[in-house]
Amino acid sequence: MGNFIYKRSLQSLLSLALLIVLVFFLARLTGSPADLYLPLDATEEMRDQFNQRFGFDDPVYVQFFRFLGGLLQFDLGESIQYSKPAVEVVLQAFPTTLMLAAITMPIVIVVAIVTGSLAAFRPGGLFDRIASLISLIGASTPNFWVAIVGVIVFAVWLRVLPTSGTGTPWHWVLPIAVLCLRPTGVLVQVVRSSMITALSSAYVKTARAKGVRARAIVFVHALRNALLPVITVASDQAAGIVNGAVIVETVFGFPGIGKLMIDSVLLRDFAVIQAAVLVTALAVFIINIVVDITYALVDPRIRHS
Amino acid sequence: MNAFRKSLLGLSTALFLSPLAAMAQSGDAVTIVLPGGPDRLDPCETPRSVIGRIIKQNVVETLVELDYAKQTTIPRLAESWEQTSPTTWRFNLRKGVQFHDGTPFDAASVVYSLERTLDPKLTCITRTKYFGGVDITAKAIDENTVEFTTKTPMPILPTLLAQLAIASTKTPKGEYTAEPIGTGPYDFVSWTQGENVKIKRFDGYWGEKPKIVDATYVWRSESSVAAAMVETGEADLAFSIAPQDATNPETDKVYPNSDSAMFRLSADIAPLNDVRVREAFNLAIDRKAFLGSIISDKAELATQQVGPSVLGHNSKLVPWPYDPEQAKALLAEAKAAGIPVDTEIRMIGRPGMFANSNEFVEAAAEMLRAVGFKIKLDNLEMTQWLEAANKPFAAGRQANALLTMHDNNSGDAQFTAFFKYHSDGRQSEIHDAKVDKLITDAGMASGEERAKLYQETFRYIYEDLVADAPLFHMVNYMRVGKRLDFTPTIANAVELQLAKLVVKQPS
Repeated sequence: MGNFIYKRSLQSLLSLALLIVLVFFLARLTGSPADLYLPLDATEEMRDQFNQRFGFDDPVYVQFFRFLGGLLQFDLGESIQYSKPAVEVVLQAFPTTLMLAAITMPIVIVVAIVTGSLAAFRPGGLFDRIASLISLIGASTPNFWVAIVGVIVFAVWLRVLPTSGTGTPWHWVLPIAVLCLRPTGVLVQVVRSSMITALSSAYVKTARAKGVRARAIVFVHALRNALLPVITVASDQAAGIVNGAVIVETVFGFPGIGKLMIDSVLLRDFAVIQAAVLVTALAVFIINIVVDITYALVDPRIRHS
Repeated sequence: MNAFRKSLLGLSTALFLSPLAAMAQSGDAVTIVLPGGPDRLDPCETPRSVIGRIIKQNVVETLVELDYAKQTTIPRLAESWEQTSPTTWRFNLRKGVQFHDGTPFDAASVVYSLERTLDPKLTCITRTKYFGGVDITAKAIDENTVEFTTKTPMPILPTLLAQLAIASTKTPKGEYTAEPIGTGPYDFVSWTQGENVKIKRFDGYWGEKPKIVDATYVWRSESSVAAAMVETGEADLAFSIAPQDATNPETDKVYPNSDSAMFRLSADIAPLNDVRVREAFNLAIDRKAFLGSIISDKAELATQQVGPSVLGHNSKLVPWPYDPEQAKALLAEAKAAGIPVDTEIRMIGRPGMFANSNEFVEAAAEMLRAVGFKIKLDNLEMTQWLEAANKPFAAGRQANALLTMHDNNSGDAQFTAFFKYHSDGRQSEIHDAKVDKLITDAGMASGEERAKLYQETFRYIYEDLVADAPLFHMVNYMRVGKRLDFTPTIANAVELQLAKLVVKQPS
């Protein structure tokens, strides 16, 4: 098991390194920040001063080695926008996104497993049909639209929730509801189909023939076997919450990392882009490790291979 | 009542009451929604709307204030000023003024603020946008008198100084500050990144005490959410809501935002190098058809790059009519004269330049095609758009019509004319000796003479050269909550003086 985790970590680290290199160079292909930060009629001298201040006047490879050198000391450079260390800017925004994800994912997983299992128990039944329809709508409705409609309905018409912003727990209700929608929709479908396969397998038939109770069949025998694809998709969805968070953070004015990343890309704030990608990639890296451990716990075949 | 029903009732009461209780506004506090949050709160960056709308004339003040309605300057931290020679100006400062940190406002602090703003270590927009080509120094004559010296005559120095915010000498030099210390009626309290900025009334203010005590600034990039915040009473005022969200005439007020849109034409490159073709281009666009459809019906047809509140604006120029037949005739005439009018013209837009700008370029391209222009439409992202907009222009580029939006809220045409039309201007497509001379002369002149020279510049460019296709002077919508009595003006493009807000019904 230790060996398995070790190998997987090594692979992830490799992709992380590749990602950092890619982000560094791709960001710099998109144009000079001097154009964006200085007024249109800025003189050549001002542009030189600007580039010098942020080290953009050096060849790209020099900038890259400087970046690597900084990375070893956890120094990811200075944000042009905020005139502060990029790490500080990113770490200030990260907890909000982490909190959004940490509340959203458990809700998604519990709702999806319960709904998907119940739907799978009688495929084609009334509950299954309703659950499938709702989950399909959830999985395919754009977050952006749902968020705006949510504000109009709950904040403007019904006046039961605040429109946006942070402050009270009530401010979190709409964003989290919106954020849950898509992953829940996707996951319900996965749990359902995976459970249907498991429930029609030979070992479930054997268990039934032996007279095992229905609840035990569903939640002990079938669910455990059906869980592997569910874990895979759930981990994908968890990583994808960063994407969903961009929209939710933008609409609801949440100071999270998703919005920060988009703003930094638009403003060519390279240091912040790099720091944000690095921190997010690390989070995904940790999710992957946790998923791998979960795999191994759930499936002895992986543990022993 | 059983326990279950009791808890259900409790829950629903909580659901209905607590969020709303948390949002209640008290009488002397206001919440203002901006379209974007600040990245720094430095006094030297007040010309940027995202910063100016929070701190300019609220936290930090200027020596001189612009009166947009009268196209003139009024005293603020300076009581009076006089030009003592073509290159020197003497400013008499207001006495008995102190900064929020207790240090006195005096000539030394003015000198300090100018030096700090001009420091090349910072890219202060006050320097890069306004003091760029100005070689200026300040000297304290005595405690309350400052003398400014410029290398070349600067007849609009007071207008220029309306952009220079005065900060306490405790503001660090060579680095940006996030905690502005000024002399304004409001003292900076806090800035929580990504969430809000708070300021509160400063009791030691030299002028009249404003009514509003506390102000909180929040930001929502989604216009419908910003509008909803004011509608529900969570906020009192929202800047720049999109035209489609401005649905309530009672609260949604329109104001000119000092932005002017136009197509800049590459007047050197065929087929746009022929004046008939450029005239046809102008005649082919039905500008009025856009008003009230995808552009606000409150926007005005433009004839030049500066709006009516700018000194030098020429109000005698008449907007181009829509005359597709005449456009076709002009194109035919040009074709007969050997101009390759069938050559493709690249139309360059930028998503989000203004509300519905993508739809605008699509429609304009169709109108031009209808009279016989061959148009290729490219919508470019900001950096690519800038590469196309700025000199040096790419060698061998094709003829292009570049959609631009230019803002001039400085009150003087100088900040437009040179950059857009002088041979050395960074975004100028023309190099005309007469234009260059007019712009240079206007820059040296003052008062009536100055206005006249700029007016002639704009007339010549519009009527004789037909250098470009002016489109609209744009407007913004501001949603003002029912508690407030306030009518926005062009000044609100870059500032919002809380002292001018009136609370109608203190609760």
